[in-house]
Amino acid sequence: MSIQFWRNTLLSTTAAMFVGFSAPVAQADIPDENYQAILSHLLTEVVPPKLDAFHDATSDLADTIGEFCRDTDTDGLKDVQGAFHSAMDIWQEIQPWRMGPMVANGRDQHIEYWPDKHGTAKRQFRKLVFNKPAVYTDPIKLSEGSAALQGFPALEEVLFDDKHAKQLINADEDGIYLCQYGTAIATNLQTISGELRDEWPEFAQAMSNAGPDSMDYPTAKFAATDLYRALHEGLLIISSQKLGRPLGESEKDGKASRAESETSKRSLRNVEHNLIGLFAIYDGKWGDVGEEGMGLASLIDSSLLDRSFRLNWQTVQDRLSELPTSVGELLEQPDGYAKLSDFAGQIDFLTSLVENDVGGNTKLGGGFNSLDGD
Amino acid sequence: MRHQRREFLKLMGVGGAFTLLPLDIARAASQPTIEDRAVYIAASAKDNAGETDDYYVSAFNASGRILFEQALPGRGHDIGLRPNHVDVAAVERRPGLYGLILDRHTGDVRAKLHCPEDRRFYGHAIYSNDGRFLYITENDFDHARGVVSVWDAQDGYRRVAEFDSFGTGPHELHLMPGGDQLVIANGGLHTHPDQDGRTPLNIASMEPNLSIIDRHSGTLIHQAALKADWHQLSIRHLDVAANGTIAAGFQYQGEITDQVPLVGIWRPGGEIRPIEAPDTVQYRMRQYCGSVRFDASGEVFGISCPRGGLVTFWNAKSNDFLTHIAAPDGCGLAATDHAGEFVGTSGLGNSWRMDAIRRKRVELPDDSHKSLHWDNHLRRIVA
Repeated sequence: MSIQFWRNTLLSTTAAMFVGFSAPVAQADIPDENYQAILSHLLTEVVPPKLDAFHDATSDLADTIGEFCRDTDTDGLKDVQGAFHSAMDIWQEIQPWRMGPMVANGRDQHIEYWPDKHGTAKRQFRKLVFNKPAVYTDPIKLSEGSAALQGFPALEEVLFDDKHAKQLINADEDGIYLCQYGTAIATNLQTISGELRDEWPEFAQAMSNAGPDSMDYPTAKFAATDLYRALHEGLLIISSQKLGRPLGESEKDGKASRAESETSKRSLRNVEHNLIGLFAIYDGKWGDVGEEGMGLASLIDSSLLDRSFRLNWQTVQDRLSELPTSVGELLEQPDGYAKLSDFAGQIDFLTSLVENDVGGNTKLGGGFNSLDGD
Repeated sequence: MRHQRREFLKLMGVGGAFTLLPLDIARAASQPTIEDRAVYIAASAKDNAGETDDYYVSAFNASGRILFEQALPGRGHDIGLRPNHVDVAAVERRPGLYGLILDRHTGDVRAKLHCPEDRRFYGHAIYSNDGRFLYITENDFDHARGVVSVWDAQDGYRRVAEFDSFGTGPHELHLMPGGDQLVIANGGLHTHPDQDGRTPLNIASMEPNLSIIDRHSGTLIHQAALKADWHQLSIRHLDVAANGTIAAGFQYQGEITDQVPLVGIWRPGGEIRPIEAPDTVQYRMRQYCGSVRFDASGEVFGISCPRGGLVTFWNAKSNDFLTHIAAPDGCGLAATDHAGEFVGTSGLGNSWRMDAIRRKRVELPDDSHKSLHWDNHLRRIVA
């Protein structure tokens, strides 16, 4: 379904709101203090509790799998899978905040190596289980190895693949190795999330203290551009990769195995949590932390535009809540491909709203050279 | 550089060049100061009350004071400098139809170049060292083939030859040391005027390369490409050091999250060596490099990344990343006389002096340069 379709459909729900501001109105420059307030709120008040929550979730995951491996049974595995989902939920909310410590030393890729265009993780995983190298049961040595073998996708393969799950419960030779390896991955994730939490405040401070003497962020507006980009790129990644890859070129080409976290059947649940983390950039409130209207929304000089954007975002979230949690389950439905394609169209429409309305009104949407393409 | 300075002063003294200078500078000729000279020149634009921007070639002095604005019929891109002469070439950005030869001191139009119907200019031009021939990258769009056209400046800028660029979508080109060879960045992207002339039509099959040709015969001398996995790295901009080392900046046509190098160093005869910045900087480069420029020493080069608002600096000797300096919407880069020092310009109107060794950025003091959006490339006119 095209962007135009969703433009018409979604706009019809809010058509009345648009009356009166269809023509662009010239705006005065936004004072740098306004950008600074957003940076300070989001980076120093909203994100840190979420990084704490992520670290807590990975710690719980490491504890739970450790406990399970001491005495393996079906209920224990379910507990570990539940802990995996909890950690993955908060990770998927944080994932779109790609900046500073999130990307330092390849950290985001070490947490989750995806997309894996060449199937590197599956290939390396098969080799690992065959050879059972002891170094991959040591979290420190694991962290120095391949990114494809040390994060969520590798742990997902251990915990959710039917064959591996049986081996874990039976605690046979492969199962014992997988348990040790899975524990090492969870411990590694706990370490990485701790590093992320610890490094964030210095980065947040540098962003929040933007000024002419800073070689990194000469103005708060420039620093806030990274927030806008995270919002914009986060939607682009959902569309082009998280939905676009399984959609392929056509219905015939559609393939659920190209989706993210498909082994644990949560590819669309990931998108649900991505949207929560992304909306926090706009709104300023993220679950139980932050304050509504203190994100990029505080720069929108029109309550109608703000309400319209929120309504459109909510419409997309509502639509997603009607779909199953995985692309695989959706594509099994007779009209599954069309539904997935429709949903991608809705995300593309949100992207166009971010580009035109948010980017334009916050004046963060790109400059003369950055939009050029030569 | 010193030789150019001598030639410039000779022109000023014996060539009657004063008659070409703006009136206020000519009046001050008895005591010319360095600030009065047009030392930097670039394409630019000005907002036009919500309508399409107005486009110019503009020059500013060392303080950032604008010395002239010459209106252009469309958006410019880079400026070619004719050695030991007042001419500069402003070629329209892709898909360009015009080229103007301007007086570097006044902006006055001295000649006009018209692109053939079945070709489009791609924004970059370079003169031979003797100043006689002008070379322009062009798109032979019906054959998805890049060409380099040759124009004789001594014969009224007559188009006298056309060479194969040995690739698709040629963009920036430079003379190699010695002056007999041209190095061309073939970006690999096929475009066609029937489809707006800018939308890439072959992303899945693009094959960028760097090619060196004999500028007299058009014969291919060297060519290098990146490995096949990186075929979507469009090799678009480059600069050449005095020792023949070529630094190149790439623009990635693939996914935002793909981890690919964006900078390469090529010593002709070998492979292109890709180099990367630390992850936090590499990510902020946003898969897109703008201008490439060597410093006065030839050891340091700068690469601007306007989408990330950064200028990155690299050591060509050790092939290492040096540092980065934030430059919102910054793209144009020119070297000063000092090792590791550059002047950079921005689409937001800023102009800075940037020191890659000490990691410093200072805005040029005269605010008049802020009235324009400075386009992709910046050239220094005098030493």
